[in-house]
Amino acid sequence: MDIKGEYRIAAPREKVFAALNDAEVLKACIPGCESLEKLSDTEMTAKVRLRIGPVSAAFSGKVTLSDIDPPNGYKISGEGQGGVAGFAKGGASVRLTDDAGTTVLAYDVDAQVGGKIAQVGARLIQGTARKLADQFFGKFAESVGAPPLAAAAEPA
Amino acid sequence: MYDFAYHRPKTMAEATAALKGKPEARPMSGGMTLIPTLKQRLAKPSDVVDLNGIKELAGIKVDGSGVTVGAMTRHADVASSADVKGAIPALADLAGHIGDPAVRNRGTMGGSVANNDPAADYPAAVLGLDATVTTTSRTIKADDFFKGLFETALEDGELITSITFPKAEKAGYMKFPNPASRYAMVGVFVAKTAGGVRVAVTGAGPCVFRVKAMEDALARNFSADAIKDIKVPADGLNSDIHGSAEYRAHLVTVMARRAVDQANK
Repeated sequence: MDIKGEYRIAAPREKVFAALNDAEVLKACIPGCESLEKLSDTEMTAKVRLRIGPVSAAFSGKVTLSDIDPPNGYKISGEGQGGVAGFAKGGASVRLTDDAGTTVLAYDVDAQVGGKIAQVGARLIQGTARKLADQFFGKFAESVGAPPLAAAAEPA
Repeated sequence: MYDFAYHRPKTMAEATAALKGKPEARPMSGGMTLIPTLKQRLAKPSDVVDLNGIKELAGIKVDGSGVTVGAMTRHADVASSADVKGAIPALADLAGHIGDPAVRNRGTMGGSVANNDPAADYPAAVLGLDATVTTTSRTIKADDFFKGLFETALEDGELITSITFPKAEKAGYMKFPNPASRYAMVGVFVAKTAGGVRVAVTGAGPCVFRVKAMEDALARNFSADAIKDIKVPADGLNSDIHGSAEYRAHLVTVMARRAVDQANK
């Protein structure tokens, strides 16, 4: 599954890129994030509790930053084990471009889910992934810039 | 199933008290979604508050302006109610095609609407008929109630007590059911109401939604032909092993036309 979207953030690109690398900002923006600990500049461990409709699952796992290209973008990936619920992993390529004093953040998410949660909730996975991506980038855009000027998420 | 504390209150006040201050407590109505989820260990609530002992929550009342259905009213009771059939036949017909007989005899309207599954049938009727949801603390218009995938305006601990459907001049619901589950791959509720024509689509997107272009066309000419060329964009629609977003977008127009024909019968 592949989800793309774009946000315009009212802040300069350097500031947006710095925020993308700030564990505190990420922790505040990752939906359901209970803890995020920095192991190095590019590796973190996270505990995330997700509640989507009837399902509630706690995932613990790793968040990794790669393809770092300041201030143009990077790739943020995560994978987590949710016990009997199954596993989830996914990544988002983030590109930043300047546009008239603001920054346009474009993301391209791919996500995979396996185990029981994937069997039972197959019809819901895409909608859930899109909702989580939207929550993350929406909150990020809000916390880094002034209120977002435009927000759109489109499936590829 | 994981362990949880089980409560069976007899009144709404007891139910609200049992949920208060417990963020991991879950209310249970018919249990058609919650019980399978618990059995799969995909949720671990601290407490389950079973609403089946609350007599005041079930029942159907009809007056000149519409139908009020108690939150704990089973689908089978809505489907077979002479009052509902008389006032809003499309609503009784919709209830009679939810899931299978086991689901219809156990599942409840309040549970279905509060859960807001993207493929559930009732949300289409609530939005299509411009219904009002009454909760333990307020009333909420349908347009303000459904917020997103499994998301509603309900706050933690807030329970639906009843839903009031105004009578419509004409109404029809058609769905393309998944052959195994009878969930709506796409379901469209069309109604000619006092406030105008409403078209509500379930199953196609992450949450029930209205199609304004169809509403405007049907307001001018309430016939299936009036909307035959109106397509909803596939962007953002559900895509899974049962059907792609493009397929669902196509089904919206097909089901909407059939629903209009149904309403005109």
